[in-house]
Amino acid sequence: MDKVDTAVSAPSSSGNQFVTAVWAIVWKDLQIEKHTRQTVSLMVMFSLVTVVMFNFALETELDAARNVATGLLWATILLAGTLGLNRSLAIERENQNIDAVLIAPIDRRAVYLAKVISVTIFTLLLEVVLVFVFVIFFNKPFWQPVVLLVLFLGTIGYVAAGVLITSMTMQTRAREVLLPILLMPLVLPLILPAATAVGEMMTVQPDMSIIRSMVSLVAAYDLVILATGLFTYHLVVES
Amino acid sequence: MSLPRLNRWIPIFNWLAAITLVVSLVMNFYYAPTERTMGNVQRIFYFHVGTAWVGAVAFFVALVGGALYLRQKRELWDTIALSSVEIGLVFLTIATAAGSVWGKPAWNTWWLWSPRLTLITVAWLTYAAYFMLRGAIEEHEKRARFAAIYVIVAFVTIIMTYISIRIFRDIHPVVFGGTAEAAQGASEGLQEFEAGLESMKMGITLTVNTVTFTIMYIAWMLNRVRLQYLMDRVDSLKMRVAARLQGGNA
Repeated sequence: MDKVDTAVSAPSSSGNQFVTAVWAIVWKDLQIEKHTRQTVSLMVMFSLVTVVMFNFALETELDAARNVATGLLWATILLAGTLGLNRSLAIERENQNIDAVLIAPIDRRAVYLAKVISVTIFTLLLEVVLVFVFVIFFNKPFWQPVVLLVLFLGTIGYVAAGVLITSMTMQTRAREVLLPILLMPLVLPLILPAATAVGEMMTVQPDMSIIRSMVSLVAAYDLVILATGLFTYHLVVES
Repeated sequence: MSLPRLNRWIPIFNWLAAITLVVSLVMNFYYAPTERTMGNVQRIFYFHVGTAWVGAVAFFVALVGGALYLRQKRELWDTIALSSVEIGLVFLTIATAAGSVWGKPAWNTWWLWSPRLTLITVAWLTYAAYFMLRGAIEEHEKRARFAAIYVIVAFVTIIMTYISIRIFRDIHPVVFGGTAEAAQGASEGLQEFEAGLESMKMGITLTVNTVTFTIMYIAWMLNRVRLQYLMDRVDSLKMRVAARLQGGNA
């Protein structure tokens, strides 16, 4: 947190304004989260409930539960992620916060990038808890560095698409209901390779060539969706 | 395109589509040879690939329509994007249904959750959600703007689908630009139908079918754009009537 503080308290007179704006918004989100602790705790509680519900459904077949653990991990992240996205962008709508941000002479892309970073941080915190929970519940090596890397990359792509879509759904009539309908199909091309890679790591002898191509697919999705978001975000928040 | 010009072109394309469809059907059943391993069931191939191809084109047109709308903010581009998604979804449904009917004799199941089939379902859901988004926004301009952005993002994910089906090993063959992976799969008996076509006649039939569905797509597009014109006109007439009535009461 110290590093962030200095970035904000000493606004770069000569330095990069874009980076300053991004960090200022990220810092603001982290401060809100630090004081309210609403978003992450909401996501963690929700995913725990989800895992327990699925466990209950698969209870009689422990082997079956272990086999679906990878898919379950991703499904839980996706579902909890929509909560985090909705919460994080609803905060902007409350008290016309977003209007203030938009009036400020800030590049719209900085707003987008900052929201992606802060929601990614929240989701990564959730994943730390989830990895722990899944290792205990399913007795599978989810702590492996490759798995963590896939989780990290997958989260970036998911949140990048999520922030763009949530910013739109927030401005519609259906709001929270519309988000999963729009977002889930959009991120499935990302989740399929990500889940395949994690699933491969759970086998006794993982095939590294499969994992490498899956990780590059995930990374490609990240880059493409981030670029799309950066190019179109100013049209989403335009009023 | 203006309404009178549309009215002139629509009958021409309607008839052209009907005639080429009959020609295609005749070619599929009488001109194309019977496939060696699969027999007559393979004739579904021409409809399956033809409609899938036009579906892809339709979604690309929607992308272009969306991008042009964001650039120029002309209503026509929004109408074109909307019409193209509607028609593309119909073609995608036809392709999936035809594939399913073919899958029953070829794979002995109507449906498999193979990567390619999963991703085509995802594409279907993605574009179906487009209408949900449109339905949730009342403002005209905002609806068109958000729909345009969404259609661009949706196409990006379709590109990812296209790339990933070339990386995942799949039971579904890749006809255009078959990969080494697909060839390997075929040699291992993973695929019933080898990549590539058996004879020249099959290639010609496929081409004719693709042209047919493209003409059909154009015909439907013209009809749909005309429909939108008429709907907009009805709306403005209704507003005028309402204004007149209110004026009369006061």
